[in-house]
Amino acid sequence: MKISLNWLKEYVDLKGITTKEIISKLTLAGLEVEDVFDETEIYKNFIVGLVKDKQKHPNADRLSLCTVFDGKNDLQVICGAPNVEKGQNIVFAPAGTIIPKGNFEITKAKIRGIESNGMICSEDELLLSDNHEGIIVLDSRLKPGTKITKALGLNDVILEIGITPNRPDALSHIGIARDLAAIFKRNLLVPKRKLKESKEKIKSAAAIEIQDTINCPRYSAKVVKDVDVKESPEWLKNRLTKIGLRPRNNIVDITNYVMHECGQPLHAFDLNLLCGNKIIVKSTESESVFVTLDSKERKLPAGSLMICDAEKPVAIAGIMGGENSEIKDATKNILIESAYFNPSVIRKTAKALGLNTDASYRFERGTDPNNTVYAAERAAQLISEVAGGKILNGVIDIYPVKIKEKKLRLRIERIEKVLGYTIPLKSVSLILKKLGFKILSASTGFITVSIPAFRPDIEREIDLIEEIARIYGYDNIPTVSKISISLGEKNDSSAFADKARDAALSLGFYEMINNPLQSEELSALTGKPIKIMNPLSTDMEYLRTSLLPGALTVVSQNIKHGEKDLQLFEIGNVFNLNSDSGIESFKDFTEVQKFIFVLTGKIQQKEWCQSEKNADIYVLKGLVHSFECKILLDNVLNDSYYHDGNSLFDLFFTKKFGDLEIGSGGRIRKEVLKKFDIQQDVFCFEFSLDELKKIKIKRRKYTEPLKFPKVIRDFAFIFDKSVQCNDVEKFIRQQGSELLKSVKLFDLFENDSIGADKKSLAFNLEYFSEERTLTEEEVEREFNRLISEVTNKFNAKLRGS
Amino acid sequence: MLEEKIKQITDDFNSDIKSVEDIQKLEEIRIKYLGRNGVVSSLFDELKKASNEEKPALGKSLNLLRNKITEDFNSIKTRFESLDDLKEIKIDLTLPGTRRQIGSKHILTQTLDEIKTIFQSMGFSVYEGPELESDYYNFEALNFAPDHPARDMQDTFFINKDFVLRTHTSPVQIRLMESHKPPVRAIMPGRVYRNEAVSARSYCMFHQVEGLYVDTDVTFAELKGTLVSFAKQFYGDDLKYRFRTSFFPFTEPSAEMDITCFLCHGGGCKVCKQTGWLEILGCGMVDPNVFKYVGYDSEKYTGYAFGMGIERTAMLKYGIDDIRVFFENDLRFLKQF
Repeated sequence: MKISLNWLKEYVDLKGITTKEIISKLTLAGLEVEDVFDETEIYKNFIVGLVKDKQKHPNADRLSLCTVFDGKNDLQVICGAPNVEKGQNIVFAPAGTIIPKGNFEITKAKIRGIESNGMICSEDELLLSDNHEGIIVLDSRLKPGTKITKALGLNDVILEIGITPNRPDALSHIGIARDLAAIFKRNLLVPKRKLKESKEKIKSAAAIEIQDTINCPRYSAKVVKDVDVKESPEWLKNRLTKIGLRPRNNIVDITNYVMHECGQPLHAFDLNLLCGNKIIVKSTESESVFVTLDSKERKLPAGSLMICDAEKPVAIAGIMGGENSEIKDATKNILIESAYFNPSVIRKTAKALGLNTDASYRFERGTDPNNTVYAAERAAQLISEVAGGKILNGVIDIYPVKIKEKKLRLRIERIEKVLGYTIPLKSVSLILKKLGFKILSASTGFITVSIPAFRPDIEREIDLIEEIARIYGYDNIPTVSKISISLGEKNDSSAFADKARDAALSLGFYEMINNPLQSEELSALTGKPIKIMNPLSTDMEYLRTSLLPGALTVVSQNIKHGEKDLQLFEIGNVFNLNSDSGIESFKDFTEVQKFIFVLTGKIQQKEWCQSEKNADIYVLKGLVHSFECKILLDNVLNDSYYHDGNSLFDLFFTKKFGDLEIGSGGRIRKEVLKKFDIQQDVFCFEFSLDELKKIKIKRRKYTEPLKFPKVIRDFAFIFDKSVQCNDVEKFIRQQGSELLKSVKLFDLFENDSIGADKKSLAFNLEYFSEERTLTEEEVEREFNRLISEVTNKFNAKLRGS
Repeated sequence: MLEEKIKQITDDFNSDIKSVEDIQKLEEIRIKYLGRNGVVSSLFDELKKASNEEKPALGKSLNLLRNKITEDFNSIKTRFESLDDLKEIKIDLTLPGTRRQIGSKHILTQTLDEIKTIFQSMGFSVYEGPELESDYYNFEALNFAPDHPARDMQDTFFINKDFVLRTHTSPVQIRLMESHKPPVRAIMPGRVYRNEAVSARSYCMFHQVEGLYVDTDVTFAELKGTLVSFAKQFYGDDLKYRFRTSFFPFTEPSAEMDITCFLCHGGGCKVCKQTGWLEILGCGMVDPNVFKYVGYDSEKYTGYAFGMGIERTAMLKYGIDDIRVFFENDLRFLKQF
């Protein structure tokens, strides 16, 4: 909301307080000044210039070559405006001036080959209005060289203030002034009403009926007859343009002026267009259509509150007037509406319409129900001043159930209990009074306070404490330098994810963080995705069902940037529907924390002392195993190589804890990679961290280093190619005695020399006992037995025999 | 006489040995001083002529001289010999070493870790909650009345009318208080979503850390103390700060904490929008209505809560001017941190 400091000063005396101080204190008190437009600063370089001569630009038809006198020198200036003429006083921006619109600096420059030493400005360029049809022509009596701030009276400061939704009372100049009065302990000056009313009674000219008193608790009106609708006087236009409003005509401008003065939105109807000279306020029972004054047809939901005349709707209550009753040049008699509407009905209708007006913005936050008559009378008075006419005698004010001011009890010790320090009672009372609260009584330990209706946000004792704290100043609350810590158990629910992350880091992987919002195509690749009702775009319409699609997208993007060797991981939540019936409770979907490795390209670069190595399925397997070891889950999980027929991986394996699958991955199928425009092998493995976390890890115990020597034996067999390494290894373990402690594959050899359908597997066997030194004979016996077992079982042939 | 000569010879030897460059030269020096007809021998000859009173002292000096020359000679000889040995090893040490890949945590994780460490040292636990949240936890129990304009403060992604992508980490406060009796002191990091157009300044999802402390005597003054201590540990000791009034439905009184812009030191620049201040977090005293929802007695207990955005914090700290780079996961970006 824009606030003019000059305007503000009509309601509170700010003498002796700098603009900087005003800005800072407003911000600290919760009325955050987000932007400052200081005219004295912004227009400081602009001066009055006299156009001494005007010629055609030799190289451009639409440009003029002007000689501008700046009070000292004659300068050559190029101007593109059609209305520039010799002898005019104009607004001149010398080289070096910053032009407010677009915030750029005017420099000496050649335009179509001719030098220009500045710029002749339009209102648009100065942000004085959006008129950019031509340059501003100034009063001819002004002396060239005069500062424009002086010539045009540009000495205001416009503040852009962000008003939080709890402060509807601050949506006007008087509202802001009230806070300033409390902050600086000054008096609030509310304009007095000076009504000159005619003898004609308002009741004879109009009647009002409220049918829906829940949604319209109060409706007040004034009538002014025989007005002259025309352009507003300069002072009024000026006030409105400074705060960013476009002047319309004197009637509409006054209603806007009063709204920005005191916060009460007003609407002016052409009384002659109101059938039966009557206003009826009622809610619609079914959907309807209505044309608002911006000539747009609006579809209204049932239950919208409407202002009607004897026959038809004439306005959407609190949101926008209708085209059928708006003020036109020919309008003579007007009815000024000043009402209080239920905030939630206005919000519902405005939301349904997607229409946010200055009026609806205020009504849906809550206006002051007890200020409607003042605002109507204030508007009537100002209208008669700028548009003539006669104010009819009296006011129509339908207010069936008066909204009472709340009373609250404030305990003094409670202030200290919440804030941690004491504020003197005298300061407490002064702050509350300046903010418009009434102290009804003061007893030992507490005071009773009456809350004005313009503060709907103050409902409880704690709300009063905030009012006191914010005006007294948060900065005055001491900052403690000691806190007590309870020694109870500390929880860290992110610890397991941190452990997994550390494991991935130690394996040399980089962490990525992806957006969980994805397209349907991506999210449906890996599960049953959940749809967003109001997505930003179809690219972000679903929640990810796995970390895989995001990882592949990152791989694809990086390859496009020339980064082809990638080792990445991510930890994040994925979401899946449990059924097709939608979400009614937390049981209808799962949200699981997952972990993914993604691996592609070279895992070892070619260097002078080593050759390069590409990622492959065995690198992924080893990596997954190292990861398990690192998080202390080695020898707990089982590998399974059963391919479940999924369409993502061609080489596939899973990790299981008992029968429960807790991770899966492998090599991504080429068809899938094609979708991501990836032409190289990609390997992924995804764990469920939530499942991993559940596995109880046995506390590790120290084992003494072995005191007796190990006996090592190697053997290699030639098998049929169809024999799987894992089966052989398992078999050797099963057949081996308790002395056999480790079996490791150390070589694989395939060559036509041993047969095209054959392969050789070489194993390394480790024998030892923790109690004694083994004899050569017993190991030899055992080893030979294994050789014959393997030979028989797999129809294998011992190599080198 | 002899004494002076000993001194002279010591000096001569010292300067000779300093200039020696190779083993031949060293040998020449040995012969010159320690050889059969060398300088030291000739001095011993002279000793014989000395008087009996002088002999013991002079003899001692001469022996010292001989020992010193011998020791110096030997140590230099060893050095030359070992240098000779090294010439046999033909290794080019200027060849580059083999590289090992080191991974890294995402900069957002690193930033969160820093924040976590500070609060954990102040006795805070860490809790997490779901991202797909019910309207009850995300809004209602946090005192956002239905149809209240406060709901517009956070543009929300809806799954349906009862479920949303959480717009802040504050619902974890409710979950935590529902399951724990006071005192509770915890931070709650996590991912949140806002239905805002993606630009350099805003993204449709980001990360927050929420903080909560509820006990019998928790005050605004303690909230200030805790947050000031955090800010000084995180941003640096010399910062200036201010607390200004703000509004959140679930705290009352509510505040926002600003620190002096560390780019312009308060002078005003583009990053702080000419104000000299940077907003780093929102905070306040837990609203009694929130206690009502979780069944805490608001007469007995008071509490504070705070929340900050991690992306914003990291952007300020590392000079990142486009929030989107965090989620592009360009390796060239990831490798920088």
